[in-house]
Amino acid sequence: MPEISLTVNGEQITKSVEGRTLLVEFIRETLKLTGTHIGCDTSQCGACTVHLNGKAVKSCTMLAVQADGAEITTIEGLAPDGRLNPMQQAFKDHHGLQCGFCTPGMIMRAMALVAENPEPTETEVRHGLEGNICRCTGYQNIVAAVLDGAKALRS
Amino acid sequence: MSNVKIGDSLKRFEDQRFLTGRGRYVDDINLDGQTRAVVVRSPYAHATIRSIDTAAALAMEGVLLVVTRDDWQREGFKPMPTKSAVKTNADGTPLKEPPRHALAIDRVRYVGEPVALVVAETLSQAQAAAEAVEVDYDELPAVVDPVQALAPGAPQLWDGIPNNLCIDFELGDKAGTDKAFAEADHVVSLDILNNRVTAVPIETRGCVAAHDAGSDRYTLWNASQNVHANRDTFAEVLNIAKEQLDHIAPDVGGGFGAKNSGYPEPVLCLYAARRLGRPVKWINSRSESFLSDTHGRGQTSRVELALTRDGRFLALRTSTVGGIGAYAWTVGPFTPTGGSARTQGGPYHFPAMHYRGRAVFINTAPMDPYRGAGRPEATFQTERIVEYAARTLGFDPVELRRKNLMPPEMLPHKTPMGLDVDSGDFPLLFEETLKMADKADLAALRAKAEGAGRKFGFAIAPYLECTGGGPKEHAGVVFNKDGSIELAVGTSSTGMGHETALAQILAANLGVDVDRIKFRQADTTATPLGGGHGGSRGMEVGGNAVKQAADEIVELAKPVAARLLQSETEEVEFADGQFQAGASSVSMNDVIEASLDSDKLPDGMEPGCLDHSSVFERGVISIPNGVHAAAVEVDPETGVVGFLGYWVMDDFGKIINPMLADGQVMGGVAQGIGQALLEDIVYDPDTGQLVTGSLMDYGLPHADEIPNMEIGYYEGAPTKKNPLGVKGAGEAGCVGACPAAVNAVLDALKDYGVTHIDMPLTPMKVWKAIRAGGKHDPHGLLGDAA
Repeated sequence: MPEISLTVNGEQITKSVEGRTLLVEFIRETLKLTGTHIGCDTSQCGACTVHLNGKAVKSCTMLAVQADGAEITTIEGLAPDGRLNPMQQAFKDHHGLQCGFCTPGMIMRAMALVAENPEPTETEVRHGLEGNICRCTGYQNIVAAVLDGAKALRS
Repeated sequence: MSNVKIGDSLKRFEDQRFLTGRGRYVDDINLDGQTRAVVVRSPYAHATIRSIDTAAALAMEGVLLVVTRDDWQREGFKPMPTKSAVKTNADGTPLKEPPRHALAIDRVRYVGEPVALVVAETLSQAQAAAEAVEVDYDELPAVVDPVQALAPGAPQLWDGIPNNLCIDFELGDKAGTDKAFAEADHVVSLDILNNRVTAVPIETRGCVAAHDAGSDRYTLWNASQNVHANRDTFAEVLNIAKEQLDHIAPDVGGGFGAKNSGYPEPVLCLYAARRLGRPVKWINSRSESFLSDTHGRGQTSRVELALTRDGRFLALRTSTVGGIGAYAWTVGPFTPTGGSARTQGGPYHFPAMHYRGRAVFINTAPMDPYRGAGRPEATFQTERIVEYAARTLGFDPVELRRKNLMPPEMLPHKTPMGLDVDSGDFPLLFEETLKMADKADLAALRAKAEGAGRKFGFAIAPYLECTGGGPKEHAGVVFNKDGSIELAVGTSSTGMGHETALAQILAANLGVDVDRIKFRQADTTATPLGGGHGGSRGMEVGGNAVKQAADEIVELAKPVAARLLQSETEEVEFADGQFQAGASSVSMNDVIEASLDSDKLPDGMEPGCLDHSSVFERGVISIPNGVHAAAVEVDPETGVVGFLGYWVMDDFGKIINPMLADGQVMGGVAQGIGQALLEDIVYDPDTGQLVTGSLMDYGLPHADEIPNMEIGYYEGAPTKKNPLGVKGAGEAGCVGACPAAVNAVLDALKDYGVTHIDMPLTPMKVWKAIRAGGKHDPHGLLGDAA
């Protein structure tokens, strides 16, 4: 089995993985970071979104071995001490989550979106979240949360 | 006094764990010695099973067990029962309930039906072995359309069930309705399709099953909305006492009805766990979910409206055919029959109504509740025929509706469908919704759309709803020495926020701070009974159970307070968290503390004397109601629909937490818009293969396809049917959204003569309808079958 070394939430990790292991499986099963979710098998839903070298990626679309040497942040890495970051806080304040299953992926995508475009318009936010599906909220409160979270992160 | 009151938009307690990746969903549970299960599913829509050969699979690395029909028959396991509230044909004979086993016995009847369960050490080993289970099938002809399934010569799913007819149900006054139609100035008649859709909660179904041989007890962690009813079903199938099975739903990632049923897979896993003496975990893939989750809607209806010359409604007549899949699933036969009958006619005054609903077996995945389960269908039937009448007879659609709404002085009113409409102000909500839309300046929106070469459309859709689901709910309260208060309720939040709203009700009624409350739900070990989630019952039944428990705790606490106040129990009064006797008072907090200290209690009372459980039982179902309105633009060159505005006024009675109510409405509207414009479960008509088997084929709405909504509430007519005065909020959004969206698009297309398009109104269908120039056969779906 190949061995990979990578940084996950700031921690240096070296593990052996089967070649066919998806990155999301590695994160959930090997590292036991279960905040990253699996909602589909065709890379549509975005529940598995994490940051790979600062970019939002769907961790079901790549193999763990492809992440060798990469720097990964999962939802657990955003609030290591339990204190919500401004985007997480905005989701809470705007009721931007209900069942919570899409939420980690949605927040990871939102963080990357705001990093790329610190002052997005509503249209840009809606377009930017196209790769993440939420079935509970109707998106309205998510969009409000991302706009507000972006503002809080700017200040 | 509490730090919260009813009506506060209290932020959610559950959010902290969900936002930080610390939610605990079923796939996050891993037990020592755990094995993995994969279901072998039928690749055919209809076939006889000649043989099942498991030898090759069993010989593979890591494979521990393959469960087949042989095990099921040898063990004498029972079929899974239907719990449909309607079980009788119009002629008084019972519905047809063919045996529904967790595994196919002699025939498979839909693509995806479970045929075997493979259990192995790892998931990949189980997946590989599932491919190696050799099943020899003889394919049979299949039928996936319920109207075709009723026709002479159609493939027959069941021996002894002619024409695939499960139930033929009627409600209302047939003779009176027929007479009204015969004497009416105007009659309009239209066939409409309510497209087959599925809930698609983002967390798929899954479970972890364990068995302890020593005590012969089972534990099941299951992504279920309904742990008590499911437990009873599973125990019945497995021939065990229900007390032997602890059924727990951890955090559940959405349900919308699709996690309500007693499904086969958890039973298979419970059995496998017993056989192996090891925990068994099964998680459905998304592709398998499309094959095996229950579907909703799926009705083909003829709807007819009789009117006077000046547009007064005289009678409504509906005949619907619902495709319930291959089996009478948990409540499948109810939806196209009683479920869709009850709210026929909406908030309009109809002197006469008649409803006929036939539930038909077809070679598809099963039908069971999907958000609204019958009420969205009824509202769509009513609102489409009203809009169609306005268009074809030349009435103004707003005026026609306004003229026929029941005025408040008419309430309470029992509709011809037997629905007890007790409270509300339908005309007020109608006008308020129009005002909201007018504020957005519809004329300017129209001008802008038309300036860009697009067509503008507007529609308003009043709706009438009713609650449902289990009528009883349990609430248990325990006071701890550390100051925490445990609240256990048998309802089941799959995202709605009960952890917050039910705690809010307890805190506000006891007059304690809400942060003290620790919430527990959906666990048969914590609550002796419960009705789970369904029928918008969370606040209506669960909330009232909590209020009742709180009120009874206040009474239990009065003797404790009396001792502290050196008074008599009868003299103690309670308000705003304070017990008062004469000029002196003591807080609930102090009384709770005293109740845990034997030195401070009256004689005969023991510490823990305030711990209390209560069971609330709903008498009569509540009637949420409201009005939706939508403004859209349609690009005639592409058929693409865009929203310019969406407005909602709801009467949910008393609102417990407006933020959470908003969330319910928004999510419901999005699901309704999804069905109206995008979503469609499609089976190949010849082979019965599922065409829309993944998220690449099934169109879920994305962030750029759902509009912002403006939502208002009317709290001026709370119901007296329950102490909280609540009417239910969970499903209303998707009851009103389909007719608002569809009628708005059709309004935009009126210049082209287009009077009807069946959902979903995809760009292709809109484009084709424009080019067909209004050519449409109003009886093209049902023909003579109505």
